[in-house]
Amino acid sequence: MIVHINHISQSKKPKGGRSPQSEIAGLVTGSLMSLVEEGVLDARLAPSLRIHLDWIQYKTNFRDPVIVRRTTNPRGQPLSLAEIAIDMRQADASRIPEVLASAVKSIGQPDVETSRHVYLDDFRPYRDCLIWSFNRLFWRHLGDWEASSGKGFEAALPGGQSDANHPQAVSDAVADFWTLLRDLDARGQLPGDITGLEIGVGSGARAVAWLDRFKTLDEQCGTNFYSRLHFILGDYSPTSLERAMVACAHHGAHVSPAPLDALNPEKTLSKYRFKLMYVHLTNVYDNLPFDDIVRRDGKLYLIEVRPYLNGPMADALVTDFSITREELPTLVHTLLEGGPHAVYEGEKGVTFWRRLWDTFKLDERLRLLDEGEDAHVPPGLNRTHLEDLLAEAPDDVRFHISRGAGESFANTLPLLHPRGYLQVQDIFVSDMDEYRKGFKGPGKLDGSLVTWVNGALLRAVGARAGYDVHFAPFPYRPGTKTSILYTTQRD
Amino acid sequence: MGRLKAAPTTDESMTSPLPVLPTTVIGSYSMPEWLERAKNEYLSRRLSKRDLDEMHDAVRKAAIKDQETAGIDIVSDGEAQRDNMIDYFTERMPGVQVDLGSKRFYYDFYESVVRSKLATGTLGLGDEAKFLSKFSTRPSKISLSGPHTLVKRIQNKHYSSEADFALDIGKLLNLELKELVRAGATRLQIDEPYYSGFPEDLPWALRAINEMVSGVNAHITLHICYGNRYGKPSFEGSYQFLFPAIMDAKVQAISMEFARRGEEDIQLFKTVPFQVGIGVIDVKTNEVESSAFVADRIRRALEVIPTERLIITPDCGLVRLPREVAFSKLNAMVEGTRAVRQELGK
Repeated sequence: MIVHINHISQSKKPKGGRSPQSEIAGLVTGSLMSLVEEGVLDARLAPSLRIHLDWIQYKTNFRDPVIVRRTTNPRGQPLSLAEIAIDMRQADASRIPEVLASAVKSIGQPDVETSRHVYLDDFRPYRDCLIWSFNRLFWRHLGDWEASSGKGFEAALPGGQSDANHPQAVSDAVADFWTLLRDLDARGQLPGDITGLEIGVGSGARAVAWLDRFKTLDEQCGTNFYSRLHFILGDYSPTSLERAMVACAHHGAHVSPAPLDALNPEKTLSKYRFKLMYVHLTNVYDNLPFDDIVRRDGKLYLIEVRPYLNGPMADALVTDFSITREELPTLVHTLLEGGPHAVYEGEKGVTFWRRLWDTFKLDERLRLLDEGEDAHVPPGLNRTHLEDLLAEAPDDVRFHISRGAGESFANTLPLLHPRGYLQVQDIFVSDMDEYRKGFKGPGKLDGSLVTWVNGALLRAVGARAGYDVHFAPFPYRPGTKTSILYTTQRD
Repeated sequence: MGRLKAAPTTDESMTSPLPVLPTTVIGSYSMPEWLERAKNEYLSRRLSKRDLDEMHDAVRKAAIKDQETAGIDIVSDGEAQRDNMIDYFTERMPGVQVDLGSKRFYYDFYESVVRSKLATGTLGLGDEAKFLSKFSTRPSKISLSGPHTLVKRIQNKHYSSEADFALDIGKLLNLELKELVRAGATRLQIDEPYYSGFPEDLPWALRAINEMVSGVNAHITLHICYGNRYGKPSFEGSYQFLFPAIMDAKVQAISMEFARRGEEDIQLFKTVPFQVGIGVIDVKTNEVESSAFVADRIRRALEVIPTERLIITPDCGLVRLPREVAFSKLNAMVEGTRAVRQELGK
């Protein structure tokens, strides 16, 4: 059999013993050998069975600890290849032999919806999955969620606050921008209106910190740039825009809100084409639709997911809310259409939503990509460009097609002034080889979802649009996984 | 209307009769994606020069046909054979050393350097003139990158100043222009997209232009835009920086980018002693202008520049546009121009 260990633990092993991960890895191989000896696993099939040992980046995620991934042809008809994936972070060592045996037995059997779970939809690509409806629900009803959880959404981030707001990071970003303006001014090439844009404003904390610092620096240097500054706050969440405008209120007419779709800022801001001197985003790309692709034996498969409510957890929900299992899909639909208060009045609706989200999981299957299929390819690229990207990737690899991030990126670049730049703080995979070393999402972050962004893909999108894309570490918080993407004009 | 007449070409007999408000392109036409890939394959030595040249010729013929079908009065060959506006020239310039291993993507620039005084020699562009006359009966033109643009891209390890270097390039390209005229070219264009980024260079840059066009018996246009690399501007600003220096350029026409930028500074060109090509098609967006929109732009230009001095063009080359977009834009340009001609009774 082929065991893929997709994560090597960086943590020190406990004194006098093995780490939980090596314990599980040992149990997995030992159990599989036993299953062959016991005749549960056909000795002729064992050599081609693939086992993936993952460490899922996010502790709360969409996978049950052990799943079987089947394959289909492009039309969804079953193929023989199947693989077992184990999340070493969630897996319970004491249950490994039992769940592994169950998984092995199910291989070769028809893929039936087990009565244990409550299924909510058919298999679809990640980009079309219900998770995005939940994500929209979260940002639309952010206030309800925060009131119920008793903490702001930024508290869920590693470190308890957004890296975007780090004072030194903001100060350095302002200094870089001011230097650019000064240089352009010296050459007589500074536009009359200096326009900046923040996409995904959150609470407005970064925008106001940036504006305050810019104003101070400008006054200290006597450059009078602030008087020409217009800063646009862009977000699709009315709640976030309102909060951010309140936070920036003392900057008066220098600030304006723009309700916009992060996937296509150019659509809303077309009058600023080639005019923006500065665009900043933090933790936006990791929250946009993506697809997952795997390459197995030289063939490309699209990951399709089927949402369900985990059986035992759904049962608990049924008991606690005095409902039936059969009612659950309808309640989910009502929640996504009308918000938590359309399901239950008051706090109960939000509690139901939060419990439901905990219960929400995804089955996975691999659908062979058709020759001409390109729905997963972001605008600005085609399949040939993806092939270029894959040429740099390991053979058997699972990676994101950060379609939403690519689309947003491609639709933001045309807004940049020839000397302007785009800066993005996010969690990036900057090299395709990194995908070999770990499972990069998606995971749950409060009621929203988060996944790493394929930086190599953005580099390809940028190159097509005339920009070089660079990644710099975020040096302001030790241990952070955030890095900074910035663009420079391609010569 | 303006006070000055269009500067005459050096030999009126060399130009075919043109309608008023003649339409033309800047030079490049849409580059097919498959040809981009083929060019990259050639750089990786997986495709022969001969095969690539065949592809280039097929695409050039198609570009000419598209322009003729759209009704363009002065056509180009679409420049599919040029990787970009620099390498095509530096590869051919005697005395410029080009590192042919320095790029993998065709659109990138080669590393190039000049280490000694430029030698005299031909760049061999005469074949382009012959190709055009062979495959089109329409008036045609050939564009060359100007001295200032080339100076900004070639590393200078010999000349004491950029001005001296540009002057020598001007002398070299002067011979090439004359060679093109001998090969049958009657309309030539010099492209200088970097002026707007380095306005302080203008005095010496124009001296080099005047050296380049000296004694060349053709209608010469100087195209000054804000850059079109990757279909986006490289610079921004106003054409104010051109004045008054531009008035001394010894060319018959200048061609400017207005469609994308708006016509705020078109008034500046009211009294220039040249024909003026006005960009009425934005080449930096895939959105196709309507012919009515184009006609409005021409009407506004006519309020400043007299009919006999106006030439209708896109803002810049069409190289970064998909073919169907480029073709539709040219159609809109021609239709809009015809509508205005009708109003003028011409």
